Amino acid sequence: MLELKEISKVYGEGQTKVIALDKISLDVENGSFVAVMGPSGSGKSTFLNIIGGLDRPTGGEVLMEGKRIDDLDENKLVDVRRGKIAYVFQQYHLLPSLTALENVLLPLVFCGANNEDEDRASEILKKVGLGNRTGHKPGQLSGGEQQRVAIARALVSRPTLILADEPTGNMDRKTSNDIMGLFVQLHKEGHGIIMVTHDPEIAGYAGTTVFLQDGRIVKKNNKKTARIRKDDN
Amino acid sequence: MKLYQVVFKDVIRRKRRVLYATLGVIIGTATVVGILTVARAGQARIYNQLEKYGPNLAVIPAINSMDMKLGDVKLGMLAVGDNYVPEEKLPQIRQIADGEIRKAMNIEDEGNIATIAPNLFVDTRIKNTNVVVVGIDPDEEKNIKTWWRVAQGKYLERDDQALAGAVAAQILNIKVGDVVPLDGTSVIIAGILEETGSNDDYQVFVPIATLQKASGREGLVSSVDIRALCNACPVEIIADGINREIPGVRAVAVKQIAASEMGMMEKISKFMLTLGGITLAVGLFGVVNTMMTSVNERIKDIGIMRAVGASRSQIVKAFIYEAVIIGIIGGILGYILGTLLAYIAGPLVFEGTTVAYVPLYFVLALVLAIAVAVVATVYPAYRATQIKVADSFRSL
Repeated sequence: MLELKEISKVYGEGQTKVIALDKISLDVENGSFVAVMGPSGSGKSTFLNIIGGLDRPTGGEVLMEGKRIDDLDENKLVDVRRGKIAYVFQQYHLLPSLTALENVLLPLVFCGANNEDEDRASEILKKVGLGNRTGHKPGQLSGGEQQRVAIARALVSRPTLILADEPTGNMDRKTSNDIMGLFVQLHKEGHGIIMVTHDPEIAGYAGTTVFLQDGRIVKKNNKKTARIRKDDN
Repeated sequence: MKLYQVVFKDVIRRKRRVLYATLGVIIGTATVVGILTVARAGQARIYNQLEKYGPNLAVIPAINSMDMKLGDVKLGMLAVGDNYVPEEKLPQIRQIADGEIRKAMNIEDEGNIATIAPNLFVDTRIKNTNVVVVGIDPDEEKNIKTWWRVAQGKYLERDDQALAGAVAAQILNIKVGDVVPLDGTSVIIAGILEETGSNDDYQVFVPIATLQKASGREGLVSSVDIRALCNACPVEIIADGINREIPGVRAVAVKQIAASEMGMMEKISKFMLTLGGITLAVGLFGVVNTMMTSVNERIKDIGIMRAVGASRSQIVKAFIYEAVIIGIIGGILGYILGTLLAYIAGPLVFEGTTVAYVPLYFVLALVLAIAVAVVATVYPAYRATQIKVADSFRSL
């Protein structure tokens, strides 16, 4: 479903030129769970932003379901963001003035929400374990709870691909595992997930791990979802 | 949930910042509303005086060096003395007045055009109380004092009748039908006038011939009020004509005084409105400034909205909604503050002016405030759309 062809991202020119991504090619199949690992500055976040159309590559092509998205104009990119792709960020990025439920509804506000959508939003909040926290504002929620709200917000627009940038970066081990349990469940339900992390244990939840270094893919592991099998036992 | 609701909740969270942005709009709107309200009160006062004053021209004995003052109805009082205009000059005055009007307005019609009302002022005693009795031509006087209303009884119909001003009737304790001795003769009170707020309230009016006879001043008048029938009538030319051709009298155009005061008033209004406009412009830049700060503060929020599917035009819309909220608050508070300002400053600017709030200016204030806020938001909103989502998160 997602095809990256020799993606490059170069910042600056001449002496100050920085190559963030150097001709990366990768195929991500429908419904797969991919972890992207690498040290700081290896280009992980840039990589994720380019996939999601938040940033544009300086070279190469990004194809989604066979169609190029890297050269779309702003208005068409908005459509991609509204439908197929959703984000989960390390910092949660919730709007502080809105309640949990309203934050979940936010993506629908931009494409026209109706009452049925509100029911759906509260159902999704129930699903991520926050059925009793719908009226709380982000400031009243713990980090783990805020990330669940962010995940619910990602799910509300029924995306085929969820992009997660260090989703457990600010959490203790137990909360991280809870959140990853949620991702694993979403994966089972058929959502494709691409997750950036620097934590090998977190990456262990994914089926495929891609290692980035200096803007290149240096290693690719297919672990056949080892962790999930362990959970199934 | 709708976008405007999202904006509204955000505005409530950042209420202090939003109020700060509103301050510029409030001050600008308040200044404009205040100036307009004061100017309107001042104008109303001048119009009111013009209306009260009635005549366009006053003809008085030339030797009398009295000062004509607009709004000071003591004009007639000063004529009390031994200086009179001979009654035989009335036809001549009429000839000049009507002739000039005919010339100016191209009227062929014969007959009287201007209202020419002679007055004779006599200081006398009725029931042992000093009172000014004014001899008038009942029909002509009615055309000059169009605001006269008879409260009790009737207007003058016969030569042996009298009309009492409201206060005079009270002080002298006279009622309709009373027979009042007047020097050598006596008159019947035909009616009592409603209060006018002018010196008329303290006077008693009788037909001029009756008073002339009673006081031994036959053929004499103290002053003559002339009212041309139109606003555009050439009262200055009439005054010049009378001054030139009739010796012994002086004609003064009341309109001249009024016009110069009106012109002054307009100049002051224009000047103050310019100041108000500048205040508004400064306010506008204030709003631009706070809005820019607001954009910078909310780079992350804007990034979030863009990441979850907001288009550029929706971001602009969100800012416009915020501007409209600022405009509504600024308009309401600006109107209230401006009106209060007018109530305080009005009497200081125009002595004795009663300021009235103008509901129409509330609409004006709202429209003005919203327009200013929206205009001030255009550039910051444009800047907001130029934020790159990826950068907005990186900066944190």
